[in-house]
Amino acid sequence: MTAMAAAARRWRVARISARYEVSQPGRVTGVAVQLALQIFLMWCLWRALYAVSPTNSGLSEAQALAYAVLGVLYTRLRGPDRSIAEDTVAQHVREGRISYWFLRPLEPRHYHRLRAIGDQAYGFAWAVGGYLVCLLVGLVQKPVSATALWVFLVSLLLGQVVLYHLLAITDVATFWLVDNTGVIGIIAFAQSLFAGAIAPLWFFPGWFQTLSSWLPFQSSFHIPVSIYVGRIPAGSAARDLVVQLLWCLLLSLVLRWLWGRAGRRVIVQGG
Amino acid sequence: MNNPAIEARGLKKVFTPAIRQPGFKGTVRSLIAPEHAEIVAVADVSFTVAEGELIALLGPNGAGKSTTIKILSGILTPTAGEVRIAGRIPYQDRIANAHNIGAVFGQRTQLWWDLPARESFAVLRDIFKTSLADHARRLDELDGLLELSSFWDRSPRHMSLGQRVRADLAAALLHDPPIVFLDEPTIGMDAVVKEQVREFLRFQVAERGRTIVLTTHDMSEVSRLAERVVLINHGRVVYDGGLVELQQDYGSGWQIRVVVDDDAALRDVPGFLAKEGAALVFGGDDPGEQRRLVRLLTELDVVRNLEVRSDDLEDIMATVYQRRAVPVAR
Repeated sequence: MTAMAAAARRWRVARISARYEVSQPGRVTGVAVQLALQIFLMWCLWRALYAVSPTNSGLSEAQALAYAVLGVLYTRLRGPDRSIAEDTVAQHVREGRISYWFLRPLEPRHYHRLRAIGDQAYGFAWAVGGYLVCLLVGLVQKPVSATALWVFLVSLLLGQVVLYHLLAITDVATFWLVDNTGVIGIIAFAQSLFAGAIAPLWFFPGWFQTLSSWLPFQSSFHIPVSIYVGRIPAGSAARDLVVQLLWCLLLSLVLRWLWGRAGRRVIVQGG
Repeated sequence: MNNPAIEARGLKKVFTPAIRQPGFKGTVRSLIAPEHAEIVAVADVSFTVAEGELIALLGPNGAGKSTTIKILSGILTPTAGEVRIAGRIPYQDRIANAHNIGAVFGQRTQLWWDLPARESFAVLRDIFKTSLADHARRLDELDGLLELSSFWDRSPRHMSLGQRVRADLAAALLHDPPIVFLDEPTIGMDAVVKEQVREFLRFQVAERGRTIVLTTHDMSEVSRLAERVVLINHGRVVYDGGLVELQQDYGSGWQIRVVVDDDAALRDVPGFLAKEGAALVFGGDDPGEQRRLVRLLTELDVVRNLEVRSDDLEDIMATVYQRRAVPVAR
């Protein structure tokens, strides 16, 4: 019962951002329309590109389209836009409201994690919904085999953990970058670019792919999706899974270290 | 005297913010090799607050009040000095300390901007692990005092300033903390809501026995709520004592302006200072002399108008800040 009550308490904290969105039907409709438009544009773009050349960078039209569509859905995994609700970590730090995080019997990093998991789970629900619709209308094909599906699911889970850490590290970095919203924007863009969510990494020059392979971002999206579309065969994905796992561990250590430093460095604006 | 709820000894806080030079070059430089300034926000602050006492922590802008409150509440670690809040060191024992304190920082809300206030209260209940029954009982009492139910289904985005501050006060007290820090809670509020908040604070001290540290620039608030004030200037305590004593020690005394039909006889009365227009002006430091003069004047038939003035608290504060370059010895 106590465990149940504790879980219920965590759930109510985790769902806050989702509550912002679902309590405003206009926002939910807006998100749905935006996703549909983006996916439609992807369909137009990739059809036009493949009309010129039937195979590019080892991806068939169906594979490229599936990759691009899943890339659009991936952007939803960041969760609802909290900036409208003045509830991003950067906003809390900039306006001094972060003080309240340090006055509660819940460590700021634990509170942040609960919220981040809630946001990501909500975004994931959207992505799954969008995926099912795309599967139904034929924009995305099923995985090539049952093995590919299972390997993809494991890779997807690891990818979610990597994404959580990347987003959390960006959030904690705002403790230092309080006046540098531009830098925060660049980090967010780099995450999507190197993850492959803007355009499939297979289409980039070799040096870019090499650079990307040394960065954690592709573990969050490019690897699981490449497994899904069959560009990375499930049978030879072990190395990629290990890379993802290593990034999970390394990023969790970085995040832990950053939170320790952030706690010591809390500077609230105004005197 | 009760056990001290708050003990601060020799507090010092130095900030080292990065200095950014203007222009693109300056931005690049601040990223590669940042330079840091040294700002002493709090130089030397010591005072104690007893359980169930309300003190006003006063000082001009930038004096170090807010930094002091942030150290006391455990948000900031002092560069030097010691703090104990209900016996605990707040910045070392944040989680346990959180149950003992509540805080409102001016217009910065701790409520979730797009959630109805009642849902924010429920989230805080979950974070503080308050039981449903206790939460309902406390919320009911707070509603009775602050009239929350008329607007608690609205999100802070759609509340007036007065409503938001009332909701924030409730949020700060829902976990029933014995010690409350309020940093300019009534700033920008209208007179009616201000009075409601003052009444609320009086109730919290008198009936609930809470210890309150209040910062404000509103001197009428100070005179109505606090018996004791701690004045800070340039990061140091320049006065710590009763409000009445402060007025006696630093006030310029009393002044009486009187308009009479025939003023010849009154010019020889002790305390006469000057004639300003139609009015005779009397003044002095001795309150007894002031009372005697008021009695004398009210018995005279020739008096047409009588005005008794005492020092404005704001003027007294300004005098203290100017005169007390040397901090109080404690």
